[in-house]
Amino acid sequence: MNRSSLIRRTVFDSLTFGFLGVVFLIAIAQPTDRQMLELGRNSLIFLAAMVAGAVLSSVLNDVLKIRTLGEAIFAPAHKKAQLEETSWWKTFSGWQLAVTIVVMFVVALVKTKFSLYELLNEDGFAGAVRLFQGLLNPNFALLPRAVLNIIETIFMAFLATMLAIPIAFVLSFLCAKNIMKSPPAFALYLVLRTFLNVTRSIEALIWAIIFSVWVGIGPFAGMLALMIHSVASLAKQYSEMVETVSDGPIEGIQSTGATKLQTIWFAIVPQVVLPYISFTVYRWDINVRMATIIGLVGGGGIGTMLMTYQGQAMWPEVGCIILVIAAVVWAMDQASAYLREALK
Amino acid sequence: MNGEHEVVTQPILSIRNLVKTYPNGVRALKGVTFDVQKGEFLVIIGLSGSGKSTLLRCINRLHDPTSGEILFQGEDLAKAQGDGIRRIRGRIGMIFQHFNLIPRHTVLSNVLMGRLGITSTWKSLFGLWKDDDKARALDYLRLVGIADKAKIRADQLSGGQQQRVAIARALTQNPDLLLADEPVASLDPATCHTVMDYLRKVNRELGITVVANLHFLSLVREYATRVIALKGGEIVYEGSPHNIDEAWFARIYGEGSKEVHIN
Repeated sequence: MNRSSLIRRTVFDSLTFGFLGVVFLIAIAQPTDRQMLELGRNSLIFLAAMVAGAVLSSVLNDVLKIRTLGEAIFAPAHKKAQLEETSWWKTFSGWQLAVTIVVMFVVALVKTKFSLYELLNEDGFAGAVRLFQGLLNPNFALLPRAVLNIIETIFMAFLATMLAIPIAFVLSFLCAKNIMKSPPAFALYLVLRTFLNVTRSIEALIWAIIFSVWVGIGPFAGMLALMIHSVASLAKQYSEMVETVSDGPIEGIQSTGATKLQTIWFAIVPQVVLPYISFTVYRWDINVRMATIIGLVGGGGIGTMLMTYQGQAMWPEVGCIILVIAAVVWAMDQASAYLREALK
Repeated sequence: MNGEHEVVTQPILSIRNLVKTYPNGVRALKGVTFDVQKGEFLVIIGLSGSGKSTLLRCINRLHDPTSGEILFQGEDLAKAQGDGIRRIRGRIGMIFQHFNLIPRHTVLSNVLMGRLGITSTWKSLFGLWKDDDKARALDYLRLVGIADKAKIRADQLSGGQQQRVAIARALTQNPDLLLADEPVASLDPATCHTVMDYLRKVNRELGITVVANLHFLSLVREYATRVIALKGGEIVYEGSPHNIDEAWFARIYGEGSKEVHIN
C-alpha cells in the first residue's frame, strides 16, 4: 500500500471512528451548554478520539485483517482487484458505513430541532396558510415596479458575466497544468489556482456584503460581487476544459514554428470555444438567480425589493415579486438550455 | 574544386550520438548516429517503443534531447533555444499519425497555418494572411489533389484527405526537410498508398528530403531509398530496404514475428 492511500485511509477512518466515539461520549456524559462551548478542551477530546480511531483502523486492517471503510474506499486499484465479491452486510466496512450514516442522521435530527409537532401545529399552520393565500393572490399593482427591478437584476447579472469573461479567459490558460509546465510558470499556476480557490470558496453573498461596505449598498455592489464570483468559477471551468484538450493539434501547430500565443489561439481555443460559450451562458443564468439572493443583503434589483415587502409581511406583494422572479428564471433557464444544446 | 565537392556531399541532417532519457527514467534513445543526404527518402522502422517517434520529435525539438548533436544544414539544433527552436521548426515540416489538423477550421485555414512561423503573431491572430500565402496554400492543396475541398471544415474529410491537408500544411512552410511520424498508420490500405504516393511526389518533384517512420515493410520496400532500424533506442540496421531479409526482420522485430503484407 502506498503512502498517500495509507494516509487517506487513516484520516478517513479516524474521522468516522472519532466521530462515533465522541457522539457516544456526549450521549453518555450529557454535557451542559457551558461545557459544549469549551472549544479548546473539546477539540482535544475530539483529537484524542481521532487518534484512537487511527489506532483502531490500523489494528483492524493490519493486525486483524478486517477491512475498514477507509481501506475499502482508498485502497489502491491493484489491491481492490484482488477482492472477492461479498454482500455488504457481511463486511465490516459495510456496517461501518451504515452505522456512521445512521448516527449522522440522528445527530442531524437533534441539531436541526426537527419536530413534527411544529410542522403540524395548528397556529403555525394557519400562518402558513395566510402566507400562501397572499402568495396565490398576488397584488399586480406592484407589477410595473417589479418588472423594472428585475430588469435591473438581469442587467446586473449580464454586466457581471461580461466583465468576468475576459479576465476568466486569460486566467484559464494561466491556470491550466498542461500549459504552465516550466518551473516558473508552474509556480504562477499554483499561486493563481490557490487564489481562485480561495475566491471561489467565499460565497457571492459575502462578497456582496464586502462590496456594499466598499462602494455602498446597491446594484453596483451586487454586480461586483457576482463578477468576482463569476471570474473564479469561470476560470476554473475554462481551465478544466483547457486541460482536457487533445495534444495532437498542439503538436501540429507547434511543428510549424508557431509562437506560444499562436499555438494557444490556433490549437487550443478552437477546441474550447464551444464549451466556453456554453459555460458562460449558464453562468449568466446562474448570476440572474444569484443576483436575486444578493439583493437580499442590499445588492439592489428585485432581491432588495423582495426583502422590503417580506419584512413587512405584505404577502400579496411578495407573491407578485416571486411570480416575476419565477417567470424570468424559468425563461432564462429554458433559453440557456436550448442554447447550450445547440452549441454541443 | 575540393570545397565544392564537400558542399555537395555534406549531409542535410547529421545526427551524432543522440540520447534521450525521459524524466521517468525511460531511455528512449541510447546514442543514435546517422546521416541523411539531401533528397533522400529515409525510412525508420522498428517496434512501437523503439524510439522512432522520439527521434523525429527530437529533430524539430518537440522533445528536448538529453545529449548529442543534431546538425541540420550545419547548425546544431540540439543547442537551439527559444526563438531559435521556432525558426528551426519553420524550416522542418512534420506530419503525424493522427493528422493533427484543427478540426473546426477550414481546409484552407489549416494549410495557412504552415505560415504561422513567419507571420507576426498579431496579424495571424486576426487572420490577416497575405494574398501570397493564400495563393501558396492553394497551390499546395492542388499539388495533393484536394483544392476543391478548400472551403470545407477539416473534420468533414476522410482520414486520407486529412493527411493530404497535413502534407499541404507542411509544404506551405517551404521546408527543407519533411518529418513523417507514422503517416499512414491510421489509414486503410488503399488510402495508404495514395498518401505515400504524395509523399514520394513531394520528395521527387520538390526535392524535399523526407524522414518517415513506417510500420509496414512492404511500404518500406516500395518507397524508401534507405532504411534505418531502431531497436530499444539503438540502430540495429542501416542500408537498402531490399536487403532486409527474414533474418534481419527477425532481429528487428523479435524472433517469431511474421511480416504482414499490405497491398
